[in-house]
Parts: sequence; structure tokens; C-alpha cells
Amino acid sequence: MRLSPGARERLTIFWMLFPTFLVIVGFYIYPTLYNLELSFTDITLLKLRKGGDWVGLANYWEFLRSSSFFDIALNTVFWLTAVSVTCRMILGLLFALLLNASFLKRMKLSTLARLILLVPWATPPVVAVIAWRWMFDPTHGAINSWLLSTGLISDPIAFVSNLSTVWPAINTIIVWNTTPLVAISLLAALQTVPQELNEAASIDGATKFQEFRFITLPYLIPTLSVLTLMSVIWTFNNFVYVWLATGAGPGTFTNVLATEVYLKAFVDLRIGYSAAIGVTMAVVMALFGALYFRLFGVGDMQEKVG
Amino acid sequence: MFVKKGIVVAVSTALALGAGSALAETVIKFRFNDSEREEMRAALDEFESANPDIKVELQTISWKDARDQFLREAAVGQGPDVVHIAFVWTQEMAEAEVVMPIEELVQYGEFANGFDDFIATDLTEYEGKAYGVPWSADTWAMVYRTDVLESAGVDGLPTNWSELKAASTEVKEKTGKSGFAFAAANQIWFPVNYYLWSNGAGFVVEDGNGGYKIGVSQAQLADAMDYFKSFITDGEAPESIVTIDQPHDPTLMQALLDGNQAAALMPTNTFRQLLSAYEEANPGKPVPFASGPMMAGTGEPQTHLGGRTLVVNDSTKNPEAAWKLVQFLTSAELFEKYYTNQFPAQKSLLAQIDYRPEESGFADQLANHTRTWGAYAQSNAQMGQLWNTTSRAFSTALSGQKSSEEAAAELLSELERMLGN
Repeated sequence: MRLSPGARERLTIFWMLFPTFLVIVGFYIYPTLYNLELSFTDITLLKLRKGGDWVGLANYWEFLRSSSFFDIALNTVFWLTAVSVTCRMILGLLFALLLNASFLKRMKLSTLARLILLVPWATPPVVAVIAWRWMFDPTHGAINSWLLSTGLISDPIAFVSNLSTVWPAINTIIVWNTTPLVAISLLAALQTVPQELNEAASIDGATKFQEFRFITLPYLIPTLSVLTLMSVIWTFNNFVYVWLATGAGPGTFTNVLATEVYLKAFVDLRIGYSAAIGVTMAVVMALFGALYFRLFGVGDMQEKVG
Repeated sequence: MFVKKGIVVAVSTALALGAGSALAETVIKFRFNDSEREEMRAALDEFESANPDIKVELQTISWKDARDQFLREAAVGQGPDVVHIAFVWTQEMAEAEVVMPIEELVQYGEFANGFDDFIATDLTEYEGKAYGVPWSADTWAMVYRTDVLESAGVDGLPTNWSELKAASTEVKEKTGKSGFAFAAANQIWFPVNYYLWSNGAGFVVEDGNGGYKIGVSQAQLADAMDYFKSFITDGEAPESIVTIDQPHDPTLMQALLDGNQAAALMPTNTFRQLLSAYEEANPGKPVPFASGPMMAGTGEPQTHLGGRTLVVNDSTKNPEAAWKLVQFLTSAELFEKYYTNQFPAQKSLLAQIDYRPEESGFADQLANHTRTWGAYAQSNAQMGQLWNTTSRAFSTALSGQKSSEEAAAELLSELERMLGN
């Protein structure tokens, strides 16, 4: 049977895309469906060989009704995600503006400043958390030593053990480690702002703030919106910082969704229950992504990304 | 021509040698989680010299992750051949069908004094079969920095929980140093049990009808939480202990070594490491440490008879070599030459131990004041889950996240769920 040129072209496209399709199925769709299947069972780490029994939506129901659900959701959405992403965006923008400032160029410090800014980002998260934990240590930590020597405090503070300081401590580590990426990305965007617009505005009597508000910021919005979306998804799902800094403690005070997945799967051994939390997280992020795209407009976002 | 011939000969020789060594050599993996890695490697070198056809690859993983990592690997037919686990995990491993029963392994060789020479074999049994070989035995006891107690004017060692609190308060008031400090996160499980046992309670007890029930009331749990919390709120222990998992955490060990803390509780091997570290840092100086039995409550002091088990992976392709290694690891020579921080889990070897004077508390505790986990291990509740849930609940109370009453009520409800009541 002879195929029409159009059909031949479609077949060629299909075969060219087929390997990619296989990779997506193997590495994304299959694990996702398997995880979904596990979430409807009571499988535990002790029953991996035997398999679990079907329990329907019981795991989801138990999680959503559990006494810790509200605390975990609040920790994840507010303390871990909202606070750290907001701090990261604001500090990233400030650093980008600083790095783009003409006085740094005049003093020939631009390259050095950029290199210094990149150091935290080049530090692996595990190393960053361990280093900061030592700095926060109440007995030997540099921060307590400095605060004590300056007389700002009279007793050392156990930053990662005290309920009022543990979240600020975790967020300090996250912001320190991740802000440079935001700053460098925004710096790249800043360099696309046509200087003649600023000059024209300046001649027309615009203040520096007005130049930033009406010229620079509109140019940064596309980059800022993509960075915010990526940061929110990445932070919401992040496990490393909280787990290594506090192990979700003291008690369960800093427990977030990602650490709850780990605790339920590998401490309490309840793989099925843990899978249900994982699916819930994926659904929440999918909804957030959809809402975000709707707010900013799909076409607009494509334009911003592409 | 000569070059070509030479290459052919060289390649053939290499292939023959490679094939020969591959045939002669069995490589097995041993996962060992204690800190004596160098000593263990030296011991394995000796084993390899005595068994030239077996090579042992030594792996290490943190104790915190050891149980889950092996369960994950073994479920898909992977993992090391011989694994070092806690006594209380053996039944879980057997239930998960990832370890070999001992009766299938003894065909490759018997132990010198038989399997009955080992202690706590009940903890290795699942549905009537033994699945592990008890390797090292330990328990926890109290450890004191005697010079700190003396400078605070505390005479003698405390013997009950009230005296411990009084001594701790005295140390804080007189010296400004920490009194009694402990790991208050994951391993608070141990002191909490000792507190409850010595006061006639326990998380799981027999119900008298062949079943099991919760053996502690909400008031007793809240009392235990308040007792341990008082050391933090009264400033006798640093607040940072609420996130400390292990008794050998550098914060606790360094405070003892520096003489900034008067009392702690820990397992045998940790105390031996503490003594070694002190002697290394202060050569020739008298050791200012003493050990003493655990505190009494309304009843006798009691700690758990704990330790480590060796199990053979059900998926091993070399059960005979694995069993040879297990036999070597349980030999008297290993404990005399290499694994010297640990006590062997064999009655015949335990009887031969020479304790240092500083270790008299551990000797007394091990001989007179220990019990097995008993009902805990035999009930429906998984020991690991019981442990983690309890530790988390206590940690929420000790950190101030929840009130003792609230944390105790939640813990009781979790215990009910675990016991299936």
C-alpha cells in the first residue's frame, strides 16, 4: 500500500518522536501511574514482596483528616514556600540591581561581585545546611559567639531547636543558597533594558524610582514571573533543606509535605499512605501551575518563556 | 610477527588468569554500621587470609537509614549478603521475607558452642524459626563526670529519678554547668522506657488472655514528658538537645569531655569511645568518669537488653561464604582483637569479660537490671514504628510544640491504632 506524502510525513514525525515518547513513558508516566496505584493500597515497606491490599481512597481520607494535616499544610505553603520565595525574589532583585549599578562598573568590581554572589549557589545544599548548622550551633557556632561577644544576647540561642527561631533559620539557609540564581537571571534581564529609555526619562525629569517603576520593572516582569513559578514548584516539593536542618523537628514543628512523605514511607514504612501524600502534592502543584498560567495568560507566558 | 605473537600470548594469559581468579574467588558484601570501620576492615583482611577464595567488600550506612535501605534493596533481590541490624529489626526482616532462616544456614557449619549459647535469641524468632544471629550485646547505663559532681558538692551517685533531678539542679546552681543532658529526639525512646519500666508501666504489656494491651496511662505519659522536659526548662540541659538524635552526638560528647556536663546516659560502646577520646586527649591523667546503674522509680531500675544481629540476605548467591563470615564475626578472637568496644552476645564470651573500674555500672546493669523488649516485640505493633512514634510525641512535648497532656493523648491514640485495638 502506498502512503500519501502527508501520511508519510506524519509517519516520519511519529518515528522520530517515538524514542522521546518511550523515555517520557518510562521515566515519567509509568512511575506516576505506579505511584497512583500504590496510593490506593495499604502496602508497607515490609510487604513489598507480597504487595498491598486495595483500600480505595482510605489513605487520602486519613491524610486529609489527620490532626497534623493543617500544620503540615501551613508549614509547606507559608513557612517553606511563601516566605522563602518572597525573600528570594526581593533579595535577588536587589542584588541584580546592585550588580548592574554603574558605580561597580566604574570601580571595576563587577566581575568580582558576580563571582562572590555565585559562591552560595555553587555550594551543594547538603554542604550549605551542614555549614549553617555549625554556624547556628549554640555552643561552638560563629553566630552565637558573635552575638554574645557584642552583648546583643546574654545566653546562646539554639536556633534550630527553638520554636521561635527554627523557621527563620531554615529560611536563612534556603535564601542564602538559592538567591544567586534569581539574581543572575534578573541581571541578565536587566541588561536587555534599553539605556536610551532611561536617558530619555531622565531628560524628561523622571526620578530614579520612576525610571525603575515604569521602565525597568516592566522589562523584568516576564523573567520574574517565570522565576517565581519555578521557585514555588521547586520549593514546595523540596525535602533537603528541612530534613537536613531539623529532621522535621523539633518534634514535628517543621514538618512539611515532602518530609511527611519520607517519614510515612521510610520511618513508619507506610508506602501506600506516603504515595497518597505524594499524589496530593502533585495535584496541588498542577492546580497552582494552571492558576498561575491563567492569571498571566498562556500566550503571554509562552512569549515570556520563549 | 614476534609482536603479534606476543600480544596473542599476553591476551591469552590475561584471559586465563582472569577466568581462573573469577572462578576461584567469591565476592560477598558485608554491611556494617558501627564506627569501628577500620578495625572491621582489619578483621576482614584476616578472614580473607584464612579463606583465600572469599573476598569481602565492606559497606557502611548510617544506623538511621540502615533498616529502610536494606528493606528496599532486598525487596528487589539486591543488597549485601551479610547485614548488621538491630536486635529488634530481625522479626520485621523475617516478616518481609528478606532474610534466610538460620536452620537453612547451619548446614554449612555449626557454632562452636551451639546456637543456644547466644542471648536474646527470642528476638530473632518469627513464626517459630530463628532468622538472625545475635552478634553484640549492649545496654544503657548512667555515665557521670565525677569531678563536676564533686565540685557541685554531690556525694555519691544518684540512685533514683528524684535524686538524679536533685543532683542535676545542684550542678547547675553551684557550677553553672549542665546537669543531666540526653539525646531528646529519636533516641529518647530509651530513657522514656526506663522511666516507665522503673515505675511499673510500659507501652505494651500482656493482657493476661494471650493478647497485648497498652500498659501506660495518659497521666503516666504526661508525667514522664514533664520529668524529662524539666531538665530543659530548668536550664540543666541545653535547649539544643531536642534536635539531638544520638547519645554520641558531638554536642553531648564534647560537653562530657570538656567537663561541662555532669551526667548522661548511653550504651556501652559509646562509653568506651568516650573513655578512649578522653585518654587520647589527656594522656596519663586519671579518668574523671564513672558509670552507674539506671535510675530506680517506684520499682527496680531496668534497661533493655539490646544489641546487634547478623542476618543473611535471602537473595544472596553465596550463602555458604556468607555463613562462613557470620561464624568468623561471632568468634571470640574478633571481640578480643578488633571489635573491642562491643560486648559479644554469647553467654560463654560474656562470662570472660574484664570490665574496667569505670565500667562497673554497665557490668551491674547488664548482669542484674536488664530485660528484653518482650511484649513490645511479640505484639502487633512494629517495634520500629512504636519507637519512632513515641520519640516524635515526646519531642513535641519537650520542645514546647504541644502540651504534655496533648502529646500524651495523641500518643495513646496512635498506640491504640498500632496495636489494632
